[in-house]
Amino acid sequence: MIILPYGDNALLINLDQRIDEVVNAQVISLDEAIRHLPGVTFTIPAYCSLTVGFDRDHTSFTELKEIISTLNLKSGVAEGQRDIYHIPVCYQDQHSPDMEGVMEFTGLTAEEIVAQHTLLPFRVFMIGFVAGFAYLGSLPKTLYCPRKTHPRKLVPEGAVGLAGYQTGIYPTDAPGGWQLIGRTPVPTFRPNKEVPALLKPGDYVQFKSVSVEEYESIEADIKQGTYQTEVTHG
Amino acid sequence: MAENIRLHFSKPGLQTTIQDQGRIGYQGLGIPVNGAMDRGAAQTANNLVGNSTDAPVLEITLMGPTIKVEGDGQIAIAGADLSAKINGEPVPIYETLDVMDGDEISFGRPVTGCRTYLAVRGSWQIASWLGSSSASATKASELTPQSAIQKGQLLEVVYEELVAPAVVAPEDRPDLSKLNIIRVLPGPEFSLISNLTIGDFFSQDFKISNDSNRMGYKLEGTLAHFESAQEVISSGIIPGTIQLTNAGQPIVLMADAQTSGGYTRLANIITEDLDKLAQMKPGDVVRFRLVGLNDI
Repeated sequence: MIILPYGDNALLINLDQRIDEVVNAQVISLDEAIRHLPGVTFTIPAYCSLTVGFDRDHTSFTELKEIISTLNLKSGVAEGQRDIYHIPVCYQDQHSPDMEGVMEFTGLTAEEIVAQHTLLPFRVFMIGFVAGFAYLGSLPKTLYCPRKTHPRKLVPEGAVGLAGYQTGIYPTDAPGGWQLIGRTPVPTFRPNKEVPALLKPGDYVQFKSVSVEEYESIEADIKQGTYQTEVTHG
Repeated sequence: MAENIRLHFSKPGLQTTIQDQGRIGYQGLGIPVNGAMDRGAAQTANNLVGNSTDAPVLEITLMGPTIKVEGDGQIAIAGADLSAKINGEPVPIYETLDVMDGDEISFGRPVTGCRTYLAVRGSWQIASWLGSSSASATKASELTPQSAIQKGQLLEVVYEELVAPAVVAPEDRPDLSKLNIIRVLPGPEFSLISNLTIGDFFSQDFKISNDSNRMGYKLEGTLAHFESAQEVISSGIIPGTIQLTNAGQPIVLMADAQTSGGYTRLANIITEDLDKLAQMKPGDVVRFRLVGLNDI
């Protein structure tokens, strides 16, 4: 663990610099221990680093570094303690504009791509890019595909994309270069809630393939306020 | 007489937004901090009218709005000198000013700086999101609908007892120059960058590019010897970070910057000097000087 000054009112904790569930679990455990320390103003948990902002009137780099150095890192994710969010995705028709490109790049059929994307839960490594955007991973090597050469000016809210070994859901309309293979009607950014992001680092997302009709029916339920995102523990 | 004051924007200006000290604590959810670009000037304007330092103010950029005042009250302007006028007559900045029903506040030629802050005594009737009424970077029209000033907009400030007028002494006002030396601390990837690139960075004058905004300032030019040796795995970024694109172009991240990124973080501007940079505009020239945490 390396603790670096990051400007005059933040510090950066770098763990082993790789994308790995165990390292990311250490980041989250550190975040939980640090975010409520006196003088800490914000934290940004990422794949394998934690940014910690502080108020210089209440603490200092030296003081925080000393406290952080004494923390014990919990590691690993115990089975049965994971929150798994079940997110319906329609991988068809107008909802999957880049499916053909991804088929071409991966050499897989659409059915195989969907099967691999819905096989296992993906971990939320971090939230970033835009409000509520969860970086999910890691994708099986067979689903690897590069970002689009020409990013879209507008990716619609709910679009599900692939980039490298990552997958993610666009929480709002935003510009973006990910390969779009599906779309969910479930909002992942809910600005009027106390915690506006549906997902947080350390959560898991299990995608579930739905038809265009099911997508529309869920969308209607959401508008009515009768839809409940299924969360299981596993 | 206890009377609310209303501001009626007959012209919105180039980019006029409502800002405060930002929404702090939500960066981990991908929500930028937002808030005044020149934090210090916003605080000064609020101090001059007796509001709390984190109260909302108008952030006025280069070409100011025209505002019709309804009701009597107090205002103060701090930051850039954008030739503020009341009823066409020049008025001083950095001091408490009285405004009366029917007055018209307007602005003229930008003389120094880029952004000025207009505070109004009282309690602003404005929606806030996550503890701040600063214009949001996402879904602004839904989340902070009143914070990006539109033509014809009306803003109401509820009366609070007026304060004794105050002035910031000339020697206590920041010197806003078109050419600044900005102090920086080594950034997280500083030690991974070659000495040649570092030397190049600190010996150059950088012109601020036209492609600069509240999210970031692009600096014209690239660092000759920069090689992005290794990819940085996406990590948190904060305002004041100077990052290098893979082509070696420096970008300074500002108040509306996104909260994570994967570029090399060369240096971080110290808080005090970030306000100074926020007052610089495209075409102005900046040079950086390396300092240590113990120097500031």
